Amino acid sequence: MTLVYEPGSSFAHRLDPRPKLAVQVTFVAAAFVHTTPAGLVVLTGLTLGVLAAARTSVRRSLWEYRIVLPFVAAAPLLQGFTLGAPWFVIEEAVGPALAGYRVLLVLLVTAAYVRTTSVRESRAALQRLVPGRTGQFLGMGASFVFRFLPVLQADLGRIRDAHRSRLGTERPVRERIALLAIAGFNRAFDRADSLALALRARCFAWNPTLPELRYTRWDVPAYAFALGLAVAAVYPYL
Amino acid sequence: MRNTTTSEVQLVGDETTLNIARAALFAALVGAFAYVSFPFPGTPVPVTLQVLGVFLAGILLGPVWGGAALVLYLAAGAIGAPVFSGGTAGVAILLGGEPTFGYLWSYPIAAALIGLVVHGGLEVRDPSAVGLPRLVGAMVAGTAVIYALGTVGFVFVTGVGVVEALLATVAPFVVPEILKMAAAVAVVRSDAIRAG
Repeated sequence: MTLVYEPGSSFAHRLDPRPKLAVQVTFVAAAFVHTTPAGLVVLTGLTLGVLAAARTSVRRSLWEYRIVLPFVAAAPLLQGFTLGAPWFVIEEAVGPALAGYRVLLVLLVTAAYVRTTSVRESRAALQRLVPGRTGQFLGMGASFVFRFLPVLQADLGRIRDAHRSRLGTERPVRERIALLAIAGFNRAFDRADSLALALRARCFAWNPTLPELRYTRWDVPAYAFALGLAVAAVYPYL
Repeated sequence: MRNTTTSEVQLVGDETTLNIARAALFAALVGAFAYVSFPFPGTPVPVTLQVLGVFLAGILLGPVWGGAALVLYLAAGAIGAPVFSGGTAGVAILLGGEPTFGYLWSYPIAAALIGLVVHGGLEVRDPSAVGLPRLVGAMVAGTAVIYALGTVGFVFVTGVGVVEALLATVAPFVVPEILKMAAAVAVVRSDAIRAG
């Protein structure tokens, strides 16, 4: 099971999505500027604070993102490796290793957002932040992607099961990919046609009523946190 | 926020509705492909089918809606749909939070470029009638865009040298990419595909 929104009553759940997006953006900026041992120690503390505010488990989040971790580990290993003695230069690998640790922290902060923000809220925030038809298009499209991702994953799973049970795994990889893609795309096109028909029947509009986004007093500390991160990101350049 | 009242409703046109639905379903399929991996000969890492989704978005939907589909993919991932590689999501990833962010930004550009080359303009024509050299050329150009931005992004995020980045981001994927191109051609040429 991947990391998805779970209803709850944590501090982060009560926040408006906009300050949460602001924290993500300023966190990345601050993390890029302060990719030093001391900076990362502070950022680790902040990350643990964010996860606590979202009541999200560090271990579980890391487990969900385990596929990404080899890529993070590959960078310092490749950079440190040299052809010939001494084979591995530690000084070379330090920079990429710090950067890899920064990636981990950013992933954990995004996990806190994903777990505490519903699709409807996220969509409303997106349409507030991107004005006009562009925002409306992105909002409606993104909410369809949310809706259909698990459906298409299940479709692909069933197609693969069907191939497996008929010894489809004995075919060459190229054929297996083509067969899966054809079946997958046909399902997606069929579903798109049904969706379009259903949308037309229900007066699909550019401007449906979105959930109300209203700031509360809880958002003040969240924005203050984002502002602090922004200041930390630009401070070295002043 | 005010409720939308009957007189203010701006209906989406029939053709646009279908295009939006298809673009969104394509975006969701590219996201679902992130979870489908095949063992490829010649590379130790399991390789997902996302790039095949990018190829076929350009070929089947054309430059405009193919590109738009991948923009929707990025938008959905930015607001929390677990569609990026490894099931990650979040606007921070698009801003360089993760080493693969260059690939993500390259997808809409590559899909639009592939669509432009295959269809010879913004007008969408029947992809099964397009010659093999044009199909393959379009996908090679798209792959070049994906690798270029992917490598730049990897260097930017991880701080490794360009050679190391190429070893990590391009070398393991050359053979799988060729197989995916072959698969894409087979899909386009197949009588079974119900596109268009």
